[in-house]
Amino acid sequence: MFSNLVLFQISILTFLGGALVGLLLRNNRFARHAIFGSAMIGSVFTIMFSIDIITGKPMTWMVPNVIPFFDLEIFVDGIAAFFLLIVGIVSFAVSVYSIGYSKEYQVKKRTMVLGFLFNVFILSMVLVVASNNAFFFLLFWEVMSLTSFFLVIYDHDKEENIKSGMTYLVMTHFGTAFIFASFLLGYIQTGSFSFDSFRHDSAGFPLLVKNLVFVFALIGFGTKAGMVPLHVWLPKAHPSAPSNVSALMSAVMIKIGIYGMIRTIFDFSGFGASPDFAWWGMLLIAFGSVSAIIGVLYAVVERDIKRALAFSSIENIGIILIGLGLSVVFTSFQLAAFAVLALVASMYHTINHAVFKGLLFMGAGSVVSVTHTKNIEHLGGLVKQMPWTALLFLIGAISISGLPPFNGFISEWFTMQSLLSSYHVPSTILQISIAFASLPFALTIGIAAATFVKLFGMTFLSKARSKFAINIKEVPHSMILGMSILAAVCVLFGVAPYLGTSLISTAFHMPSQPSSPFDSIAIQNSSGKSFANLSMPVVVIMLSSVSIAIFGFIRVLSGNTKKTKYGTWDCGFGSLNERMEYTPTSLSQPIRTVFKVFFRPHNQTEKESFGENPYQLKTIKIETAIKNIFEDLLYTPIVSSFVFFFDKVRRLQTGKINAYLLYIMITLVLLLLFVRLSNNA
Amino acid sequence: MIVIGLAQVLVILVLAPLLTGIIRKTKARTQKRIGASVLQPYYDLLKLVRKDEIVSDQASWIFRACPWVNFAAMTTAAFFIPVFLVYTPFGLVGDLLLVVGLFALGRFFTMLAGLDVASSFGGLGSSREMMISALLEPALFLSIFVVAITYGGTNLSTLIGASSNASFLPHPQIIFAAIGLFIIILGETGRLPFDNPATHLELTMVHETMILEYSGKSLALMEWSQSIKQIILFTLMVNIFVPWGISSSVLLSSLAVGFLAFIGKISLFGIFVAFSESSVAKWRLFRIPDLIAIAIATSMIGIVLCYL
Repeated sequence: MFSNLVLFQISILTFLGGALVGLLLRNNRFARHAIFGSAMIGSVFTIMFSIDIITGKPMTWMVPNVIPFFDLEIFVDGIAAFFLLIVGIVSFAVSVYSIGYSKEYQVKKRTMVLGFLFNVFILSMVLVVASNNAFFFLLFWEVMSLTSFFLVIYDHDKEENIKSGMTYLVMTHFGTAFIFASFLLGYIQTGSFSFDSFRHDSAGFPLLVKNLVFVFALIGFGTKAGMVPLHVWLPKAHPSAPSNVSALMSAVMIKIGIYGMIRTIFDFSGFGASPDFAWWGMLLIAFGSVSAIIGVLYAVVERDIKRALAFSSIENIGIILIGLGLSVVFTSFQLAAFAVLALVASMYHTINHAVFKGLLFMGAGSVVSVTHTKNIEHLGGLVKQMPWTALLFLIGAISISGLPPFNGFISEWFTMQSLLSSYHVPSTILQISIAFASLPFALTIGIAAATFVKLFGMTFLSKARSKFAINIKEVPHSMILGMSILAAVCVLFGVAPYLGTSLISTAFHMPSQPSSPFDSIAIQNSSGKSFANLSMPVVVIMLSSVSIAIFGFIRVLSGNTKKTKYGTWDCGFGSLNERMEYTPTSLSQPIRTVFKVFFRPHNQTEKESFGENPYQLKTIKIETAIKNIFEDLLYTPIVSSFVFFFDKVRRLQTGKINAYLLYIMITLVLLLLFVRLSNNA
Repeated sequence: MIVIGLAQVLVILVLAPLLTGIIRKTKARTQKRIGASVLQPYYDLLKLVRKDEIVSDQASWIFRACPWVNFAAMTTAAFFIPVFLVYTPFGLVGDLLLVVGLFALGRFFTMLAGLDVASSFGGLGSSREMMISALLEPALFLSIFVVAITYGGTNLSTLIGASSNASFLPHPQIIFAAIGLFIIILGETGRLPFDNPATHLELTMVHETMILEYSGKSLALMEWSQSIKQIILFTLMVNIFVPWGISSSVLLSSLAVGFLAFIGKISLFGIFVAFSESSVAKWRLFRIPDLIAIAIATSMIGIVLCYL
């Protein structure tokens, strides 16, 4: 119907239009619909465009001299289109959700700014992925970082949000500096900022340059992706932003970091099938394992529902990096089939995480918007008052915990199989290291399930723990619809992995398997037998037919039985109330104790007793706190040494004019000396 | 083929309560009691199914769905287990990792059901289960790692086929994997020293607290699915590490031998577990990580041995 360029231009124009509406129109209901409506339409066109590219040919579009000496080069191949598809799907669902969600902000008269930034943010992500020139890539990257910064501090009347925003701003520019360095190395080697020339000439870079390009890109893009230890901004920034933006940031923006990493490794760094590059993969696996385990450990003890989700994003980025690293290791030892397997694992988890984390952040946003608290200590019992949100959140929770038959299981199954396939690697030390890396990976999956039992159970189940969770209503239809879209994708990608694998294989031009929806995914071992098989559609059929069969069987066996409702068993004391329930903190206490080396928990008990007897207590106050070891042990010393250094530097700035004249005098003398001495030589 | 596959599933479903009965009987005998008949678990299930149910007024649909989810997950897992034949036609559908995933699905809902009824008992059980299950996951995966690398697959037909062809204890790493898996099975099935299945004392119980509010057929389903999980894990243990007598062809005679060998092995293993349970006390909750660490360490030694 349309050529793919037209689709691309339409989507860009729609986002721009939405942004303009945000700037020009007055704040009212119509404008709100127009803003998020155009974001929706833009996302639909992005989805159409990316599917068009994945199934068809790459697209190139060049506008010469947009800025003097710099051509705007757009190049979208399958890989870029795959990430555009992620942007499109999540943005569409979040835009639908935002129509209802932003109503809350309309009262505060700032919806228009939110809408403007929202559209520009999505647009910048689309353009980052599509650009084919280091200059424009960095330009759009910066637009993406800045709009997201403004969105993080959108609720700027809270001091805390400004602080998180500043942390984010500093960290994101730290990362950008390294990305810039990585591209500059390419520029020095090729003399051009165009990605085409990087792609073309990178095989000829000296090995040192290749390694440097990779390391700089890993640091730079890793910062954006939230890789430990560069993750400190993420658990601050994501919870501070409005929930629809948190969904976009956690689901999509950090994936742009993954996109950058993939682009650099496979396209710009001269990576090839040589054991020289195996350490890249091992480095990725190491960072991935650390990110996964650190992310999930802090997620499980967290009380702020949005911050727990943010920590869990770090964990999932870790899992993605493990898959990517395995793919790099396999490629460098020319094990193409397993490299494909690991890359499918990594990319499947990328799209899965985008989908279920978007869903969970929207679910958390719904909860926060009706209860006005992010602290799950105050929540409970919402399943009765918000049945739809609860159901959709549960789908997200089961998916992210990697349980069959939802999508998280599929990508984690792929990752596990890739880890197992490491026995093909022809190096004993690497084999053993990768096998040991599966320890943190599996531990992560175990704790992730515990995390989401806690988040879902404490928010939606049992009795309300405070007045925040009483007398609330289900959220508007548009919000439920937005969440349902992503929940449907979660189910679809879990029940029919064929969809996901064929999408990824087509996008990345890899051999595809399984070849039909009901075929099983098959991996063979070295003697040609089946190493593993998985056919999710059949598993789902089994699950459902077993349920029906057993339902009938029990029905026949039991005859006519009654169901009576009665209070929960209270040991005969008769006054079971919400203060006797387990709290989120106590629920995760065993895990906190086992892993106390990471948390340095700090408990303080103050007792006040009646008179002499220490057992007759009047009041008891218990304070518990945990530490974030990375902030305390890594960042605080760095920040304080900087502050110390610049404190010393500040002494130069006395504010007295005499002193400044003296500085000028000294500088002049030094310069004259310099000129004199260099002339002599 | 499909018929034999379904027969293996039925064997697991039907024999699951019997295994529980054998273990209880053995424990009673070691404690100088006569104990109930080995068929008692069947009578219990039948009695529970016919009883009226009392459901907490706090409970939501999650609490009511949990027994069904559990049962469906465990039964589906049973499809992938070769019991008396080295092969199951459902091996093309799922592998050992799927079985582990289905167990985790059941456990996820059980933990939620524990929280759903708003009593502090449920929270207590879920909290402890969260820790134990999170720690068991890596131990389990590592021992699967050793077995899968040694026998060339997580597909259970391949795995058990290769182990039944191998000579007696062919690889040193298998012994380490067996030690690791034995500890994990005690944890997964909630046996001493992890959890005492015979107690109703809040200081010690884990699994029982989460299902405390269940009654009638929901309780029957929970108990039955727990037994199925137990027999699946025991079957895996005996068939991977001592695959003696397991049938490798579909001839009626060898199937009969395989079936009898299975009954013998699983009962012996059940009696062994019961004896080991009788000789240890319940460990303090925060000593359990040490035990799991032993399982992890042995599996890691196994991995190193795989590659050396």
